Amino acid sequence: MFSKNKINRLIVCIALSCFAIPGARAAEAIKIGLVTALSGQSALAGEAITRGLTVAIDEINASGGLLGGRKIELVRRDDEANPTKGVTAARELIYKEKVAVLFGGLDTPVSVAIVRLANQEKVPFMGPWAAGTAITQNGASPNFAFRVSAVDELVDKGMLAYAQKTFKASKPGMILVNNAWGESNEKGLSAALAAKGIQSAGSEKFEANDVDVVPQLTRLKLAGADVLLLVGNVGPAAQVVKSLDRMGWKVPVVSHWGPAGGRFSELAGPSAKRVHFVQTYSFFGKQSAVGERVVRELKAKYPDIKGVDDITPAVGVANAYDAMHLAALAISKAGSLDGDAVRQGFYRIDRYEGLIKTYVKPFSPEVHDALSENDYVWAYFNDNRILPVAGGN
Amino acid sequence: MSRATPDAIDAEAESAGAGLPRPWQLASALLLLAGALALACTLNNYYVFVLANVALLAITGIGLNLLIGLSGQISFGHVGFYAIGAYAVAILNTRAGFGFWTAWPLAAAICALLGALLAIPALRVKGPYLAMVTIAFGFIVEHATVEMSSLTGGQNGIMGIAGPSFGALLKGERAVAVVALAALALALVVYALIARGNWGAAMRAVRDSEIAAEAIGLNPLTVKTMAFVVSAAFAGLAGGLYAPLSDFVTPSSFGFIQSILFVLVVMIGGAGTLFGPLVGALVVGVLPELLARFEDMRLLIFGVLLLLVLWSAPNGVAGLLARIVELVSRRPSVRLPAPGETLPTPEFAQRARRALKAEALCMHFGGVRAVSELSLPVAPAAITSLIGPNGAGKSTVINMLSGFYLPSAGRIFLDGVPLNGSSAYATARAGIARTYQTSQLFGSLGVVDNVALAAPRGRLGGLLSDGHMRSPRTRRRAARLLRWCGFAGSLQQTASGLAHVDRRRVEIARALATDPDVLLLDEPAAGLSLDDKDALALLLRRIADTGIGVVLVEHDMALVMDISNHVVVIDAGVYLASGSPAEVQNNAEVRRAYLGAPGGAAVLGGAAPRRIAEEAAEALGVSGLTTGYGAEPVLHGVDLALRHGHTAALLGANGAGKTTLMRSMIGLHRPLQGSVRFFGNEISARPTEYIVGLGLVLVPEGRQVFPELSVLDNIRLGAFLKREGRDARMAEMLARFPRLRERLHQRAGLLSGGEQQMLAIARALMGLPRVLMLDEPSLGLAPQVIEDLFQVLRRLRDEGMTLVVVDQMAALALALADDAYICESGCIVAHGASRQIAADPALANAYLGAH
Amino acid sequence: MLMLSALISGIGLGSMYGLMALGFHVTYAVSGTVNFAQGSSMMLGAVLTYTFVQTLGWPVVPAIALALVICAAYGLLVEALAVRPFVRRGSDAWLMATVAMGIVLDNLVMFAFGKEPRSLHSPLAHTPLEIGGLGLGVYPLQLVIPLVGLCLAAGLHLLSRRTRWGTAMLAVVQNREAARLMGIPAQRVVAGAFALSAVLAGIAGALIAPLVNVHADMGTVFGLKAFAVAILGGISSAWGVLFAGLLFGLAEALIAATLGSGYTQIISFSLVIVALALRPDGLFGRAQVRKV
Repeated sequence: MFSKNKINRLIVCIALSCFAIPGARAAEAIKIGLVTALSGQSALAGEAITRGLTVAIDEINASGGLLGGRKIELVRRDDEANPTKGVTAARELIYKEKVAVLFGGLDTPVSVAIVRLANQEKVPFMGPWAAGTAITQNGASPNFAFRVSAVDELVDKGMLAYAQKTFKASKPGMILVNNAWGESNEKGLSAALAAKGIQSAGSEKFEANDVDVVPQLTRLKLAGADVLLLVGNVGPAAQVVKSLDRMGWKVPVVSHWGPAGGRFSELAGPSAKRVHFVQTYSFFGKQSAVGERVVRELKAKYPDIKGVDDITPAVGVANAYDAMHLAALAISKAGSLDGDAVRQGFYRIDRYEGLIKTYVKPFSPEVHDALSENDYVWAYFNDNRILPVAGGN
Repeated sequence: MSRATPDAIDAEAESAGAGLPRPWQLASALLLLAGALALACTLNNYYVFVLANVALLAITGIGLNLLIGLSGQISFGHVGFYAIGAYAVAILNTRAGFGFWTAWPLAAAICALLGALLAIPALRVKGPYLAMVTIAFGFIVEHATVEMSSLTGGQNGIMGIAGPSFGALLKGERAVAVVALAALALALVVYALIARGNWGAAMRAVRDSEIAAEAIGLNPLTVKTMAFVVSAAFAGLAGGLYAPLSDFVTPSSFGFIQSILFVLVVMIGGAGTLFGPLVGALVVGVLPELLARFEDMRLLIFGVLLLLVLWSAPNGVAGLLARIVELVSRRPSVRLPAPGETLPTPEFAQRARRALKAEALCMHFGGVRAVSELSLPVAPAAITSLIGPNGAGKSTVINMLSGFYLPSAGRIFLDGVPLNGSSAYATARAGIARTYQTSQLFGSLGVVDNVALAAPRGRLGGLLSDGHMRSPRTRRRAARLLRWCGFAGSLQQTASGLAHVDRRRVEIARALATDPDVLLLDEPAAGLSLDDKDALALLLRRIADTGIGVVLVEHDMALVMDISNHVVVIDAGVYLASGSPAEVQNNAEVRRAYLGAPGGAAVLGGAAPRRIAEEAAEALGVSGLTTGYGAEPVLHGVDLALRHGHTAALLGANGAGKTTLMRSMIGLHRPLQGSVRFFGNEISARPTEYIVGLGLVLVPEGRQVFPELSVLDNIRLGAFLKREGRDARMAEMLARFPRLRERLHQRAGLLSGGEQQMLAIARALMGLPRVLMLDEPSLGLAPQVIEDLFQVLRRLRDEGMTLVVVDQMAALALALADDAYICESGCIVAHGASRQIAADPALANAYLGAH
Repeated sequence: MLMLSALISGIGLGSMYGLMALGFHVTYAVSGTVNFAQGSSMMLGAVLTYTFVQTLGWPVVPAIALALVICAAYGLLVEALAVRPFVRRGSDAWLMATVAMGIVLDNLVMFAFGKEPRSLHSPLAHTPLEIGGLGLGVYPLQLVIPLVGLCLAAGLHLLSRRTRWGTAMLAVVQNREAARLMGIPAQRVVAGAFALSAVLAGIAGALIAPLVNVHADMGTVFGLKAFAVAILGGISSAWGVLFAGLLFGLAEALIAATLGSGYTQIISFSLVIVALALRPDGLFGRAQVRKV
């Protein structure tokens, strides 16, 4: 798969760079870094981000590149969902590959750790997925972290509001995956509940590889939960729905965007459609011109994409696509690859007609999140299609 | 060859022992470290970070190497200590406001403490069980850091940890990298000091032979706990540096896979070597970075490369290098004392030795009474021998006297002070030394280290101090003791490569090094040649003459009768007789227990000559067969030829090489040289199952029936390769051995010894042997049963089966056989027709130990 | 109600652990070695079953059969590549080598199968069981799994007592050298044990596939827990290992039901340590007599 030559060259390269003091290299291509999980449980997310970025990069390169014809090159690193590995990879990309913008992945702890480094080294960071509030609201000034994705705090408020409005929730129960993401949302949801003065039926955690969530759900049921607020990636979320099925408990479920991360109806079975979840984008239904173009390009680039239901997780692809274009615009505005200039460049973006929406002045020194609660769409799975909930916007 | 004057011996003893780095090693290590320091100050931050990570891996690896390489324990939970070290620094720094230089040592101390705590359950278990306990520990730590979120920050961990700082020039990751490299250098030094001192030797000793370690007063639990504590502290030190290096700690950084990587650092580098973990840390720390650009294929390639590395150096890269260096710079200097030279006398403490006294000792194993109501006085400056037939309980008595078994009842006094219930190491410290039936040396230690380690009787001193081990006085004394015990080989060589007789000598010297009151010897003469036995007899007398009370368990009656002051005879765990050698020899009960009813050989039909075809084809032929375990050959160019239909007896003392010869013929041992022919087929390079298929079948020593399988299954398994006509043969076997029919559905392990022997023969016959070999078939059987057994063998012989019999019952074996071979020290010293051999004085010499 | 469903679910899970742990037992008894990455064999069974049934649309029986054959082949490969070369040279590095094999297999499968978690549809895991209109909270499959586990264990027991190669395997377990003297090719028996071990894990994978998400990474945690179970049961006792599996599964389910999921691993692994400290040869292992 890799020629011996390539490996040899690589080894020689590394060996040499150990001796030579690396100076500034005038590279022709502009390097964009991506640190995300490429193996293990979250590998699919890394793949989706890669695809969104690649399609956007191909578009930019096809239209002549940036900064006077310099092409963009994507450099990916596997963080194995481990912050230590992520930070090591980020260091390599920053110091050795000298990337202009660093993209993050699915896992909030990894992104939070990388953002500290990015702020310290003044390299713009762009989050196309991880929704942890602390990624962009990190207290650093100047702040180099930007995001085109959902924000937990906002999603949590939205979930509660949606549960109240649609299902008349008076005593919601929380069922959260036991990882950093779940923990972050437990805080957000609790704050949202407290703000509205609502008593919850309790908060239950479950492991990502649990086969059976019935005990936790039963406790919520006994506590009188009338709506479930669910946070978990597609696999774990499916386990929750299956467990609900087994219990025969037909409670409405309002979920973070986890189910959108894969073939939820295949994983969760017939009850998948009971879950209403938040989305930043759906490739189903009538697409804008940009949407049609992106779907076309994805199909051409990746033979395994035969229909829009193969574009999973859609949010990863869509967020990454828009984030890449926004980053490119910021570089253009900056006119150089200097980190601080690019950061300022983000603030100077006026308008971009993107996949998710048309962005108007998406960033400012106060706002580092391009998407807000107004951009969230409520959706559900009908067979393999993600459909918007009527009136759920 | 230089003459081994006392001075020369002393000089050799004092020269550097194992575990100390050679000058070139030290120099290259220093150079490496200096280079790394220079790199840490000049490289860009990514390389500095990688370099620091390698240093942290190496520090953890060095600690783990102490545990795995020296003490022989395993841990897949050291990521737990690493995590605790990291969290301790993070918490102390961010929550309690401690500076790095306060928090870091505290973190290591906390880890050391937890290491001691984990050792409590961990050291109760062994092997995979130990692996599991440590894995569980790692998991508990990982999940506890998630659940104790008020302290640890939960899943999102703790950010912003202050590290060491040396002004504006050296801060951040550079400063941590420099501190990490310094810590690494310190860790190396500490490891080297421990490894060459008392504690390191004790750890190796415990790993090599726990029971021998106890016998010189070492408490294995203390030694292993120390290894745990130190390795935990090292992991904590590394973890404590990890926190400021990465500037954050989160639970997901400390997953199980990290523990695997730590063990990998040790294994790739080479367990038990000083610089192994450095090599391992380089591979484990740098390889993934080299592979980073393979993106999602990185892990796949890492896995494949890992396999390649493991294949090419299964015992570690450093081990491989050391082997090469050793091969290149070999020092074959072995000084032997010139004949007639006066040996230096060791410095035995001049003191009155105390007497040992056992009263009414009982030992029950389950329902079996191994020893009942046995009293035994052991006088100082005398040899007390304990004799009895096989299985009489002699070794059990030794094990009780030395504290290895807790007697079910009875009391043991040393000069009136009760020793009851003392553990083995405490008994050894009290002044009772012992040796083992199969010599238990510390194979990885040098010969002189084996003895020197015993000198402090388990008092090891400070962790880093040289203690007694390296003191010239101790080593000089150890060397003289070795020479005095007749050990003439190199004092520096490791004990694992010693020849059998030298193992005995070193073991006795080691026991004497504890300066004991009483010395217990379990079959010291087993496997020794006649000359060596004479030397041993002399040595034992000289030991007794120094005032030490010697207890001797021995099968060689000539030796026992020759040197003992007092003989105690037991049979089936019960006292039978005691007195002077002459009194015991003339005791009728003793004779009956030992020799069985007189005239046992007559049952075989006496000397009725057998008609056998002299010109029959060769069934089994051996020529120039040389076989060895490791360095020392056990068989030296053995020749043997057995004709079809003949019966051969293979005779000789314990350890003469008879069993090895049989095992080599049947392919259980790969011969070094020579050929084995079976009906004209060369079989010396063939696997056992092929040889068995040809029809060469062995009934092994000790029967070796499958204890959990039924008698029926045992017999059936004999026909594993010859299934045709199995049921008919089954019926035939049950007719031949009617007792087996009664027990057909019982577990074979429940049969009596005689029944098991019958079963073993029936099982072998099911395999349609063309030549049947039997190794010690009469061992441990009652006289009447032995007679039955030889009747069975005679019947087989008369039916025309070709037999090879090895048996202690020389008279019976010779009566059965047509030809006989006498084996001594791995050579055939005589062979011929069995009636001639029976009259040959070589037989009495080699076999019966008669003078 | 809560307890009942926890019990049933715990027994189902426990028999999974038991089956995989039995795989550890089989190879350990015969050769003193194990495939440390047993979870990968389980994953292989699940992924292959999914591929054959769901992607290729084969009937279940031949699909599982072929999946298990491939698992067996993988077991042979592990023995030949990651165990034998090291055991032969007296090295303990087989421990690491089997881990490396697991890493390689996991990542190969990730590329071949895809990175997306999938779900195997089974009529046995579709409609939950009801008794008298009351939901039990379990799928029929969760009751089938312990049954299959028990049948397999019994079948294995019979196989080992009644067949030529079965008794040969027991003979190698009890006395390897004596077994060779009977002409039993011990090396092939060891290889066979590794194949059997992988098949057992593969069966566990195929059985559990409809209940969990199928993906390349699914085996890791399972494999570790199964190792814990094997050790807890006393790795040398087959029935002890199975029983320990049930015990572990039940403990997990009950802890999750009473204290919540976060403490499951802390408490269950603490219990393992305590159990081993009290019974150093496992709950059902036979104590080793101290030989001097």
